Parts: sequence; C-alpha cells; structure tokens
Amino acid sequence: MKKASLILLSVLFVFSMFLAACGNKPEVKNNTPGNQVPKETDVKEDPPKKDVSLRVFSTFGGTDAARESFQGALDEFTASNPHVKINNDTMSANDDGFRTKVNTDMNTGNEPDLLFYFVGTDAQGFVDAGKVVPLDDLLNEDANWKNGFSPSALENVRQKDGKIYAAPLTGFYEGLFVNKKLFNDNNLELPTNWDNLKKAVETFAAKGIIPLSVPFDQSHYVIEHFILTAAGPEGQAKGLADGIDPNWEKGFAAMKELYDLGAFPKDAATIDLGMASNYYGEGKAAMILEGSWAFGGFTSQEVKDNTTVIPFPVVPGGAGGGNDVIGGFGTGFYLSKATYDNADKKEAAIALLKHMTSPDIIQKIATANGGTPAANVEITGLPQAQVDGFAMAANSASITTPVDSKVSQETFSTLRAGVQQVVTGKKTPAEVIQEAKKIEDENK
Amino acid sequence: MKGDRKYIILFLLPTVFLMSVFLYYPFFKSLYLSFFRTKGFFDKRFVGWDNYERLFTDKLIGEATLHTLEIMLYVIVFQVGIALVLAVMLDNISKLQSFYRTVFFFPVVISGTAISLLFVLFYNYNFGLLNTIITNLGFERVLWLSETNSLKAVAIPTVWHYVGFYLVLFLTAMSKIPSDYYEAAKLEGISGIQKTFKLTLPLILSDIKVVITLAITGTMKVFEFVWVISRGQNGTEVLGTYMYKKAIVDQNFGYGSTVAIYMVVFGVLLALLANRLLKSEEITY
Repeated sequence: MKKASLILLSVLFVFSMFLAACGNKPEVKNNTPGNQVPKETDVKEDPPKKDVSLRVFSTFGGTDAARESFQGALDEFTASNPHVKINNDTMSANDDGFRTKVNTDMNTGNEPDLLFYFVGTDAQGFVDAGKVVPLDDLLNEDANWKNGFSPSALENVRQKDGKIYAAPLTGFYEGLFVNKKLFNDNNLELPTNWDNLKKAVETFAAKGIIPLSVPFDQSHYVIEHFILTAAGPEGQAKGLADGIDPNWEKGFAAMKELYDLGAFPKDAATIDLGMASNYYGEGKAAMILEGSWAFGGFTSQEVKDNTTVIPFPVVPGGAGGGNDVIGGFGTGFYLSKATYDNADKKEAAIALLKHMTSPDIIQKIATANGGTPAANVEITGLPQAQVDGFAMAANSASITTPVDSKVSQETFSTLRAGVQQVVTGKKTPAEVIQEAKKIEDENK
Repeated sequence: MKGDRKYIILFLLPTVFLMSVFLYYPFFKSLYLSFFRTKGFFDKRFVGWDNYERLFTDKLIGEATLHTLEIMLYVIVFQVGIALVLAVMLDNISKLQSFYRTVFFFPVVISGTAISLLFVLFYNYNFGLLNTIITNLGFERVLWLSETNSLKAVAIPTVWHYVGFYLVLFLTAMSKIPSDYYEAAKLEGISGIQKTFKLTLPLILSDIKVVITLAITGTMKVFEFVWVISRGQNGTEVLGTYMYKKAIVDQNFGYGSTVAIYMVVFGVLLALLANRLLKSEEITY
C-alpha cells in the first residue's frame, strides 16, 4: 500500500509542477517591454485573408443602454470584413465581479483581443505588466483616426507614464438628478445651494417622499460628491496618500446632517444601487446622485421627462466652488499585447479598434447611453434631461475624475463602510477618515 | 488484490487530478498568498505575519464570526429540527409520500441567489410583498431588514433552502430501519409518539450526527443570502461575505486569503468539536 501512496504523491507532485508552469508562463512574457515601435506590415491584402476570430470584452451587455448599438457596430464590421468572427463577451458593470474577471483574464494569458475597461489606477496593473500596447504610435500613424477624437478626450485617458493605452469611446458625468415635478408640486426651489437642499429634504421627508435615494453600502456617488464639494477639486484629487485634507471630514459630517433630517431611504443600509435607482425611477424619491448612464434605468416616463441634472451643492464649510462636476473619459478600448504580436490577428484587431472608435460609432454609442462623445460629433434628438446633463458638464468650473480613482480600492471600501457608521453616530467623520488613511498607507 | 492496484490508481487519478486542481492547489495558494500584501493582481509584497496580526485585531472578523455562529444556531435548531419533524411525519403516511418529498426537496434545486432575490422583494420596505400586505390590512410599514432584525431575516431563507435536503437524508435513514423492529414494538404495545422517540430517533442517531456536521460545515459557506439580501450591512456580515469583500471587492487577496484560511481552520475545529460532542455508538441492524 505504501508504494501506491508514493505513486499517488508523485502524480500529485507532477500535476502541481504542471500547474505551476501554467501559472508562470505569462509572467515570462512580461520582460519584453510593451512599447516597441509597430512595424509597417509589408504584406498587405494580397493573399486571401485568413479567418480570424476576435474576442471583444466589454460591459455593453445585460441592461446597458448602449448594448444594441454596440452589437450593431460589431455587426457592421463583420459585414464588411466577412473573414473576421467576433465573440462579443460582456459582463454587467453593476457589480465588482467584472473587475475580477478582467484582471484574472489579463493575469492568466487569457487576454481578450480588445478590452473595454477603465483607465487610471484600475488599469495600472496590467499596463505595468505590459499586457496591452500603447496606442500613441498607431494614433500618430493614422491621422484620420486620431483627428476623429476630441483632443481633451485623448488627454483624459493617458496613463501615469504619459502614454495612451485606451482609445476612448464615450465619457461620463455625475451629478444630482432632480425630479423637477416633485419640487414644483411642493413649491420648492431646486437644490442649488445647501439651504435649499435642506429645506427640500425636510419638506419631502415630512410628506413621506424619499428626499435623496442613497444606498449606504454602494455609496460610491455619495462619497464622491460629498468629498468633492467638501474638499474642492484639488483637495479631492490629492487622495489620502500624502496626509489627510481636513476638509474631507466636512463631507461626512454633512451626510450625517442630512441623515438626521431624514434625507435617506429608511432601508438605505440594505438596498443596493439598483434599488436606489429604482426608487428614483419610480418617482418615489425626489433626488438621486447618479451618473450619465443612469437615464436608461429610470422606469417611469414621467420621471424621465421631469428629470434635470445639477451639480451637487457645496456642503457647509466646503472648499468647493459649487459648480464642480465629476466626470471625464474613464474608459476605453485596450489592444492586448498578445494580439498585437500575433500576425494573424493584428491587422483585423487594429481595424476593428479603429472602427469601434470612429466618430460614426462614437456618435451612435453616445446617443444610446447618454455619455459625452469622445469625438467632435453632434448628438441630436436627446431627451431634455440629457441635454441638461451635457450643459451642466459643459458649463462647469471644473471636471474631475471621482475620488475612488485617487485612492486604493480597499481605502475606498473603508470610506464606504464608514457612511452608515457616521450617519448613525457610531463613529465620527475623523475616525472613519483616519481608518481609511491607515489602509491607504498599508497599501503603498 | 495485488493485481488490482494499478486499476485502483487508474480510477482514482481523475479525482486526484480534479481535487488537486480545484481544492489543494487553491488552498495552498491561499496559504502562500496570506503572507503577502497584494495590490490588485499584479503587485505583491511579502509581509510575514502581518495579515495574521491584522486578523486577530480585526473587530469585523469577530463580528462576522459571531454572526456566522448565530446563523449556525438557527440552522441546527430549525433546519435540522424542521427536517426531522417533517421526516417523521412523512414516514408515517403512506399516501402521497413521494409527492411531499418532491415538494419539500424543491427549494434545494433552486439557486440560492434566486431565492435571495425573491426574499429581497418580500422584505423591501417601500414595495415589498410583506409591507404591501400589512399596509393593505391597515398597519404601519415594518422595516424588516433593520439593524436588529436583519440577521434573522436572512436566516429564514437560509434555513428554508436546505430543509428538503436533510429531510431526504432522514427519510432514507428511516427507510433503512428493518420493519420487524416496528412489528416487535407493535406487539409490545408501543405506538404513535412513543414509537418515534423510543425507536425511530435512536436508530437514526448516527444520521442525525452526520446531518448536524453537514449543517455546521454548510453554514461556514453561507454567502449568497447575505450578499443579495442585505449586502452584509446591519449586522449581517458573515465570514463568507467578509472574505469576498476583502479579496474580490478590495482586491486585497493577501488578507482575503488569510480570512479564508481562518475559515478553514475554524470550520475544521467546529466540525471536530461537533463530532466529539455527538459521539455515539454505531448501530448495525
């Protein structure tokens, strides 16, 4: 029997070695830097084109407003390039699961050929590991393609090293979505300043209407806006790496002030973002902090027609100017290094990338999802609420990317977990921010 | 026997392979990762025992452990209890037994997430089923998922989900009891409740033991009910959701792995303890 178990053990050992080898393979590739100059392909078009299959991973699936336009754009490409087969691989952006999926794919040699994903800290890992190619040279070679983008959009997607890895499609803005009808019916002024907001909260709370639909756990937009107006764009952009901006506390203190007035849904602790949006979309809530992608999710047509978007008012004592907006071009298409190095796929993948980020497609997607287009195209026929949103972004004093792109994921989770603690008085704002700072330091 | 050895190994190989790929490899990888501070997928730094130090000073892990234990209590008392009561009742009827068995087993087949979504719609404060019913009856709305109630509210679907599974185990155990025992009992004049307590239950004690062990280890894995219904808020954070938050949401795989290791150690200890406490002699018919 001993011999048998020995054999078993050795088999196990062999398997684990095999696994270890599997795991290490992609890492070996990392040593080749990802910034080689793309060579002009000498052979072009002459031989009959090989069948190519490309996998495009994005979040344009499920309930995404631009799902059909995105699929349409892919179909357009395959219609004119019949030798290319596209696998439209999507996952919903509503939860954090797709980040894990993308990172696992990138880390295990299973990169999609084109990846639609965040820029900034989210992408830093696979950018540093050389999994995607910088697009600067490709952009410079093809003036037509490059000029299709608005320059500010391209500036927005630059990584820390100054290179562009992601071709932007549409941008976003976030703001305070307000149901004008509910405000009119109750003779209230729009919450353009803190006093108006407080008055509105008191009035709605007394009438049994949820003033501000907010989830405590998925409180991303709440934290982003309260900290933005409390610390101002500069104070917010500093993050927590080099010390605590004393103004951040005021953001959390203001949340408590509103909570004490009854601003949030009674079940704010246990609902998720989808349910919060549902409350607003059904007309049960008067305000919600959301992003430009949210329009499609509101179910009631009356709510849709009566929605306008305004910048979140400055919290008491805040350093913000009152006209600061969160937004930018936070996502784009990455071209994976493995695809770029694969002679069979390279040409088709680049062509698809150019097609998907052409002004024409950008216009279609932006029309569908209400995002700011990354190209200089006119978006017409939008509902009034979205026109208001664009106007808000265009007339804002500053547009900054949200605070969760300035701190580590775990730090931001600590801030999120602090929301309920602060509003119910279990912790002080200072304690929560100290805690987050500690996590941020450990994460350096 | 000797000649069979290579066949034994041959037939064991697929399982060995699957187990090592999906169980042992991830486990040892977790053990390895628990000594690192990770930042996303691409950066990691060796930190020695730091994660374990954090584990023992982490207040949230203590809370999560207590919540898990509370759910475990509900599961042992109600899940196993209800399953046992139903099994005894089903064992005593002759008609429609398989129909009821199927009905009670049905929830086991439904995914936990689907059941949780169902209960989200039951519990919702603003347009949930329960609140709609009681407001129609003229009562005030109730916040079902309040800070004091949430864990119990989450425990209800958790308990309900697996009752059928244990019911089937109990029924099978009962069907194994030879009928001459009952005939002898009948001759002795034992019937009804007495038969259940003096004959059936003692004879399936070893199965009850197994079921309790299963229930304990199963509760260590509770995740989807908490995640979907309350997102771990309002005092419902359990070990499963806490580990997920740390590892997947925060992408701190190092600390997440440490929590996972803690769960394994804690679960094994509990199971051993349960085995020790429930020690009884094996019954052979």
